[in-house]
Amino acid sequence: MTPLLSIRDLRTYFYTEAGVARSVDGVSFDIGEGETVGIVGESGCGKSVTALSILRLIQPPGRIEPGSRIEFEGKDIVTLDDNAMRDIRGNRISMIFQEPMSALNPVFSVGDQVAEVVRVHGGVSRRRAWDRAVETLALTGIPSPEERAKQYPHQLSGGMRQRVLIAMALIMKPALIIADEPTTALDVTIQAQILDLLLNLQKEFGTSILMITHDLGVIAETTSRVIVMYAGEVVEEANVTELFAHPHHPYTEGLMRSMPHIGHDTERLNVIPGTVPAPTSWPQGCRFFERCRYSWDLPEHEHPPLYDVGANHKSRCHLAKEPQRRNQPHDPLVIREGAGAA
Amino acid sequence: MPGQTQGSARTDPAKPRESPLGLGVRALLRKRSSRVALVVLAVIVLIAVLAPLIAPYDPAAQPDIVAAKDLPPSIAHPFGTDPYSRDVLSRVIYGARLSLMIGVLATLVSLTFGVAYGAISGYAGGVVDAIMMRFLDALLSIPRLLLLLGVLVAWPHLSIGALILFLGLTGWFGLSRIVRGQVLALKHAEFVTAAEALGASRRRILVRHLLPNLVSPIVVAATLGIAHVIVLEAGLSFLGIGVPQPLASWGNIIYDGSDQIARLWWMSLFPGLFMVTTVMTLNVLGESLRDVYERR
Repeated sequence: MTPLLSIRDLRTYFYTEAGVARSVDGVSFDIGEGETVGIVGESGCGKSVTALSILRLIQPPGRIEPGSRIEFEGKDIVTLDDNAMRDIRGNRISMIFQEPMSALNPVFSVGDQVAEVVRVHGGVSRRRAWDRAVETLALTGIPSPEERAKQYPHQLSGGMRQRVLIAMALIMKPALIIADEPTTALDVTIQAQILDLLLNLQKEFGTSILMITHDLGVIAETTSRVIVMYAGEVVEEANVTELFAHPHHPYTEGLMRSMPHIGHDTERLNVIPGTVPAPTSWPQGCRFFERCRYSWDLPEHEHPPLYDVGANHKSRCHLAKEPQRRNQPHDPLVIREGAGAA
Repeated sequence: MPGQTQGSARTDPAKPRESPLGLGVRALLRKRSSRVALVVLAVIVLIAVLAPLIAPYDPAAQPDIVAAKDLPPSIAHPFGTDPYSRDVLSRVIYGARLSLMIGVLATLVSLTFGVAYGAISGYAGGVVDAIMMRFLDALLSIPRLLLLLGVLVAWPHLSIGALILFLGLTGWFGLSRIVRGQVLALKHAEFVTAAEALGASRRRILVRHLLPNLVSPIVVAATLGIAHVIVLEAGLSFLGIGVPQPLASWGNIIYDGSDQIARLWWMSLFPGLFMVTTVMTLNVLGESLRDVYERR
């Protein structure tokens, strides 16, 4: 079965005055129908740029480099003309943004904004669009949707606003929803509700979801397959259970080690020392080299490919060739003080 | 946002609408100075609209150019008569009509140009924006009054329509800068990206998503703009190159009495009072609206 979305060698570069920022640098992955795939990584790893690239919403000075391929329902999104692209946006692929307040237009009622999506795509009457908006708002669990639809964004709570954004993303019954940190701006109690809602609606409509987050908890709860990104690249890809049971890449390992665990009485949380290098000057060899506990001389010169390290499990780490190195962790080469603050 | 979750979740659904315009009107009604200004303005507008019904005489009629000229205020002529024996009260009432109409229509012209120019420039960005802004800089470097004087001296006897057009065409530069600045600030807002992500076209985003967010500065600029045009028109008419005779505007009534301004004091006092009152109320309203919108 051909996947719904197939990304091959996606490179999105930004031509800034400081140099060429290679924010997404050769990313490939697939999303199947009805599948939930997670992209996890810290700020600046290129996960949001990947999402925006799929919708081709990259603004100058950024651009998707020629040679990148994003195939969706048999069309190549990179070369599609603008009209066809607009037909896809919001209709076949839609997006849920991180900050529900700023993603909503402050001067329109939320019902108008949900209905707007139908009117952009549907060619239906204003009345009909409004009715569908109210129906969809009801689906997302908004109480008394008829009344709420007439309210403005600032009159709703964060959780309600996020439900409105979900309604906007869902109303055209798209094949794929990209959720960019959909719960980051919300209270923890609301987070769980919103995730449940997303998963229930996904079951109902058979939509695929690309879940972008830095929160491994969200990944564990919602996704079936995980892509770990670091410095513009995929560094590890595996099924969710496999990834949590046997993280291979030292970066993934570090992410897991830095999660707080209930019952473990630790004074301070583990951190991955150092910071992500600047996208204008990725290191030549392994991009994680300077922060890695197992690094040795070789990877400095050799850029690691994605090794197969298990069933449907890939990792961009030379440990795949020399696994015995894992037994000798050491302090990375960076100075610890700098990392303590991070 | 998370903090206010529960509280605002229960804000009464009974009071759903809170559009920027409604917000502005309600705020105006809350403040006493703007309430007074609204009432005064309403009266003046009413006078202008009902001019044919309330004016005691035909504003252009010259009943007796010898015996009835230059009469001081009396019961028969509360504002006196002018050197052509016309009733000044009637002329002031009709003048309200014309002065307000010129103010409103010229401002509409300015708004149309200013908003369109500024929005396109700001939204297009890049080279287009740079060229459009340099052109605007050039226009802004010519004083408005000088521009108008030049035009009106070159073409005396312009019709009212042409006068309105010129007043409007010279009044949009400042507004277009404001609009451009706002569009520039808003076009990278997340709700714009969100609208794009949902498939809206560039034109739709500009018209449906950006412009409604500019209502507040536009309303403020329009209110202040009308006041400015009224003063400008009066100035031009006072110089004898504005509204042509026998039509009455506040400016040209003052002009008719300007030869003997000390003796025919009623000819400048009454239209002057009306003009100052109108301009003041408009400015009070404009400033109050600005306060409301900027506080948000």
